[in-house]
Amino acid sequence: MSVTSVLTKRKLKKKDTNKDVQQRDMNDLVESASRVIAPLWPISTFAARNPWMGLEKQSFEQVASWLKNTRDVDIYPSASMILSAKNKGEIDEAFVNIELQRWLDSHSLHIPRDVAERFCRAALKLDTLPSNLLSSHELKKLEEEISGLHTDRVENFSMQPISSYIENQEGEGFVHILDHHVIKWCKLYLDESQAGWTMPNREKGFYHAWHRLIQHDPALRKNQRQCLKNWPQEAHMALKQALISMEIPESEIQTYLEGHLLSLPGWSGMMLWRSQQSSHEHALLTEYLAVRISMEYALIKPYLPLNNKRLEKKVSITSLLASWIHWGDLSIEEFSQMSPAKQNEYLTFAYQFDERVRRKIWLEAWEQTNTDRLSEKITSKHRATNNKKSALAQLAFCIDVRSEPFRRQLEKEGPLETIGIAGFFGLPIATSELGSNHSHPSLPVILKPNHKIKESADENELKSYQQRKQAVDSLGRTFNTMKQNVLASLLLPEISGPWLSLRMVTRSFVPRKADRFIRNLRENWLRKPDTKLSLNYVHDQEAEIPVGFSEEEKVNYARQALKMMGLTENFAPLVVICGHGSQSINNPYAASLDCGACGGAAGGFNARVLAALCNLPKVREVLATEGIEIPADTVFAAAQHQTTVDELHWLYVPELSEAAKEAFDRIEAIMPKVSHNANAERLAQLPNFQSKLKNPKAEAHRFAEDWSEIRPEWGLARNASFIIGQRELTQNCDLEGRAFLHNYDWKQDESGELLANIIAGPGTVTQWINLQYYASTVAPHYYGSGNKVTQTVTAGLGVMQGNASDLLAGLPWQSVMQSDHEAYHSPLRLLIVIQAPRKYVERLLNNDSAFREKVQNGWVRLASVNQEGRWENW
Amino acid sequence: MFDSLGLSSLLTLFFISLIASGLSGLLFLHPRVPLSFVRIHIGIVALPPLVSLLALANTNVNEVVGPWYLDTLAWLMAFFVLLIGLIIQRFSVRYLMGDRSYRKYFTLFTFTTGFASIAWLSGDLRLMVICWGATLIGLIFLIRINNGWKVASEAAKVSSRLFTLSWVALLVAIIWLFQVTGQWQLSLALTNESLAQLGAWDRTGINLLIVLAVIIPAAQWPFQRWLTESVVAPTPVSAIMHAGLVNAGGIMLTRFSPLFNGDIASIILLILASISVLIGSGISIVQVDYKRQLVGSTIGQMGFMLIQCALGAYIAAIIHLVLHGLFKATLFLQAGSAVRRSEVSYRVSKRPSYLWIIAGRTLGLLVGIAFWFTAPGEGYQLISALILGWSLSISWTHLVAYGEGRIGRIAGFSFLGGCAIVYFIIHNLFYEWLNTTVYQSVQPPMSVVIIVVCLLVFGNTVGTWIARNRSSVSFAVLYLWLVRLGEAKTKSVESHPNYLKQFLSQGGNQ
Repeated sequence: MSVTSVLTKRKLKKKDTNKDVQQRDMNDLVESASRVIAPLWPISTFAARNPWMGLEKQSFEQVASWLKNTRDVDIYPSASMILSAKNKGEIDEAFVNIELQRWLDSHSLHIPRDVAERFCRAALKLDTLPSNLLSSHELKKLEEEISGLHTDRVENFSMQPISSYIENQEGEGFVHILDHHVIKWCKLYLDESQAGWTMPNREKGFYHAWHRLIQHDPALRKNQRQCLKNWPQEAHMALKQALISMEIPESEIQTYLEGHLLSLPGWSGMMLWRSQQSSHEHALLTEYLAVRISMEYALIKPYLPLNNKRLEKKVSITSLLASWIHWGDLSIEEFSQMSPAKQNEYLTFAYQFDERVRRKIWLEAWEQTNTDRLSEKITSKHRATNNKKSALAQLAFCIDVRSEPFRRQLEKEGPLETIGIAGFFGLPIATSELGSNHSHPSLPVILKPNHKIKESADENELKSYQQRKQAVDSLGRTFNTMKQNVLASLLLPEISGPWLSLRMVTRSFVPRKADRFIRNLRENWLRKPDTKLSLNYVHDQEAEIPVGFSEEEKVNYARQALKMMGLTENFAPLVVICGHGSQSINNPYAASLDCGACGGAAGGFNARVLAALCNLPKVREVLATEGIEIPADTVFAAAQHQTTVDELHWLYVPELSEAAKEAFDRIEAIMPKVSHNANAERLAQLPNFQSKLKNPKAEAHRFAEDWSEIRPEWGLARNASFIIGQRELTQNCDLEGRAFLHNYDWKQDESGELLANIIAGPGTVTQWINLQYYASTVAPHYYGSGNKVTQTVTAGLGVMQGNASDLLAGLPWQSVMQSDHEAYHSPLRLLIVIQAPRKYVERLLNNDSAFREKVQNGWVRLASVNQEGRWENW
Repeated sequence: MFDSLGLSSLLTLFFISLIASGLSGLLFLHPRVPLSFVRIHIGIVALPPLVSLLALANTNVNEVVGPWYLDTLAWLMAFFVLLIGLIIQRFSVRYLMGDRSYRKYFTLFTFTTGFASIAWLSGDLRLMVICWGATLIGLIFLIRINNGWKVASEAAKVSSRLFTLSWVALLVAIIWLFQVTGQWQLSLALTNESLAQLGAWDRTGINLLIVLAVIIPAAQWPFQRWLTESVVAPTPVSAIMHAGLVNAGGIMLTRFSPLFNGDIASIILLILASISVLIGSGISIVQVDYKRQLVGSTIGQMGFMLIQCALGAYIAAIIHLVLHGLFKATLFLQAGSAVRRSEVSYRVSKRPSYLWIIAGRTLGLLVGIAFWFTAPGEGYQLISALILGWSLSISWTHLVAYGEGRIGRIAGFSFLGGCAIVYFIIHNLFYEWLNTTVYQSVQPPMSVVIIVVCLLVFGNTVGTWIARNRSSVSFAVLYLWLVRLGEAKTKSVESHPNYLKQFLSQGGNQ
């Protein structure tokens, strides 16, 4: 499977050209404007998304200053975060110095270097300018003497929504009022069966439904309703008319639309995602902008035309002056005695070396320190150990950072070999559980499934299972129906109250027992029958994608997965394919703790499919002819790594050969110890009252089963690097659960195809995960999703903060912060380490222009370790 | 074995434990006390509800001890509110971990619920009003605990304005009552002799003030705004608000029940409450935010509780407020579970046979009529019968008629039976406990009951009818009005939680 080819298909296919040119123009403009937002999928399948995926053509630095100017969003770590990292010893100040010298070298200085350097060093302490200096009288006087700053730098301010310049009589900005209206319409339209009454005319599309309703909306004034009543019937016409009425120049329409998309990036991202899902909503983003900008026009109509649409952002000289006095050791007299030209040079320099540059230098030093320490760890341990011991079993885990500590503990306990591979195991499948009509695309969100795999069971057993399941579900359904009925809802608390309070009390005081009791009760009642997987191709004309694989595909997928794992020889008697999943209750972000490579769900299903494929005699036969000889007594099994409790749950164990049985028993025997150690190591990081735990296992289960637990586990927080190479490279290294690990043997990849696939698939996934954590840490209000405690789930799709807000897209505050005072995640851009000779990396960069762009523009960092074990930063 | 413990010693024990939990709450505020002290604090906070439970089990007679009026209702309410407080504090131990106001939460929870419990135990009206005021202040502090967030302080502002109005109304009412009867003691002020001193104007005036005082905390129309805006409060605060404090009206009206005899105040209460039932249910039907749906539902449920009070069915109101409190607390605390995996929502496609549905309807009708005839003279019984019959027929349809195969039907039937049995047991239990303490007031005129029944049936029918004619203009208007009533004002909305920027620039060095 070539991942890259599917990747490019992500873009919207353009529709046929019969429509009039105007509409196409508008849709094209909207499509180009949509680069500033990223599609947002529902929270139930939360998978990492890179909020800047459309902006990788620009450098990180450019995007940072653009965001700061347009939205006042800062994407460099805050000063306090940097200082606290420095105090913890995570930043080597030598690197700060190196970065500073580099910056000074790259800028043509008009002031003496030593003065500049002294100034920069003092400024890099990142303390704030004293407020008494800023407000001091002398400074004000000096400021008046200086005519102003003439910088060569032209700040490119993009056009902001007009409503952000106007306030109503009560001093509320119109853009806030507009936001509130738009939030309301979005959530009502996008709702998925949370409400008893859905929005009228919803099926006719967003713009039409809105247009029908807006004429009656009591939240608007009469003249505003009147204005929108006579509005065009078609979304693109409406958008056009609103833009013309507000006199937005043709050349600025795209930036104007971008400004509006960035006002509520979550809701617009959800609209973008929906528009990519089905053909009848393909123009949803245009409709969204039509609604938004039409409403903007209706709201601000009385204030038009506006005289000064752009606020001239004046550079504040006060702080520049104060910075020279505070950091540059200049007195006010000294400064006032300089010639105006010299003053201007000084001020320009202070302006150039602004806070963003300072924090950029710190961030890069932080990243350098991290790289340096990793290279030290890897290269010092690096010994060419080619004497491969024959392992008792081979266990393949997901590349997820949480696999690393678990794998380390496993390897410590026995002659076991572990392997890293993307957790969907290269299977582009949609999974469908027994008796369910719903199928889940169990693969990275950048790909589309090609096959559907169902669970099936004996007809009779299935029937009675479905009846039992139906009976359980009917309880919830009855509860909901009664809730939404005026009369019945009045009785509902009295009927369900006793049961709910019983549950509340037990969950509060005996959380583990209560949760386990409920789960056991459910499982015992349901008694899910043993299931088989529909691996064989079934022709089904109704289904969008075929069910099962053809014989050839079976071999292809098995071969590809084995090659990706680097497992083509030296098979152990038992090969365990391990997916991973997490366990938490009462957690809207449960999916964010599951496998990102499986589209935000547990990866056990994919593991079962791969193990089953590799056990098929026919597949083995064909593979043997190609040189991949799987011994007859080698058995593939599937399991799931439960990341919240660090346990291995068996999902599929076929009949074992004698050798395999021995390996299986061995794994079972060491598992309690592995689990104990892994839990102890992991729990030490989670905030808790006592630092030493007597029974880590019990405590881990408490984390998983307590309904009040705000951080069931850390997920992928603190991730920082992606190491593509042999396990020998990292074996015996404590990587602190911060590294994604993918197996790769360059000797078996002469064409470089494997490496290209790893970078295009897992490489993208890890980069997205990394940037999602990065963004949620540095801008938690904008790219994160705020405090979990004040969130409300809306429309079944995502969360909002407080009374209403943007649909929040990233990770919650608690997932990246240890406490309100202390960050846990270190915002570092992903370091990709490739173990291969230099020419492999060069070839990769030459062939994959998207990846080259990412590296050049600072969205990921790249390093390699060559055949001699030498580290090289790219 | 507790018979030996007299009521007064239980009372002493209760106050010792209450003071201990208050002190422990204060102690926890001190930064030198380690965070792990919170577990000991939970242990101490568990004592007052335990003692009140003991007292509840041992109270048979109504007793006045000093300023306290100790009857089953008083102990029940104290136990209820303290239990909710305990559960929510236990929940917060993990849920609020790492919050910068972590310690403050526990102190405020302890004091808010502690004062509420004292208010319901007090027989002296002054004490009751002061304690209730303290509870409201505690609640406002809890809403604005993150005062760096402008929407939270906006919500606190709205709430405090309305609470002040409510509290002042209550204060004026009791002063007025004192002016006429010369009694601060609840039990003495509401004897028949004292009440005889009340003129018609006095009575109406006091009653109207009390009605005003109770409908504000119950978030009844047109005073629902504080509740719709305070969705911004942290989940545990919302839980305590919706479970333990909005229902104060029911307790107060029960306490003041001898004053009400179907006069104009009762009618006004009835009308406002009925409107609120419809508006509240409407909000919860059209809204799509989980917490906002719960707000709508609370408004409706509190309306229903006040209808019960206005119709003189005080025991029913108490049962409703207790069970609703527990119900709502659970629903708030499990707000994180509102994200459903798509597989759960798969629906049954085939329609059940009409026979099964008709059977359900008939059963509902029969049970309703039978229930009504157990006490046909009481006005509330009719409403109760209507709701019971209707709910039975709905749940029958979904549990039994839609049930798949024998297993489904049998399971559905057992659920239904189990729920019915528990429902009746609990109701009987409450009636047995409370019938000695609650004043049985005069029945309101049947015409009023009929009007309420008509309103409810009307709301129900409109709901069903209009949902079938969704493209009509009237539906659009109604829909948008309900949405508007449930939404917060723009001032209390912020597109992104910008206060976190402040947190980032301050944090890190501490």
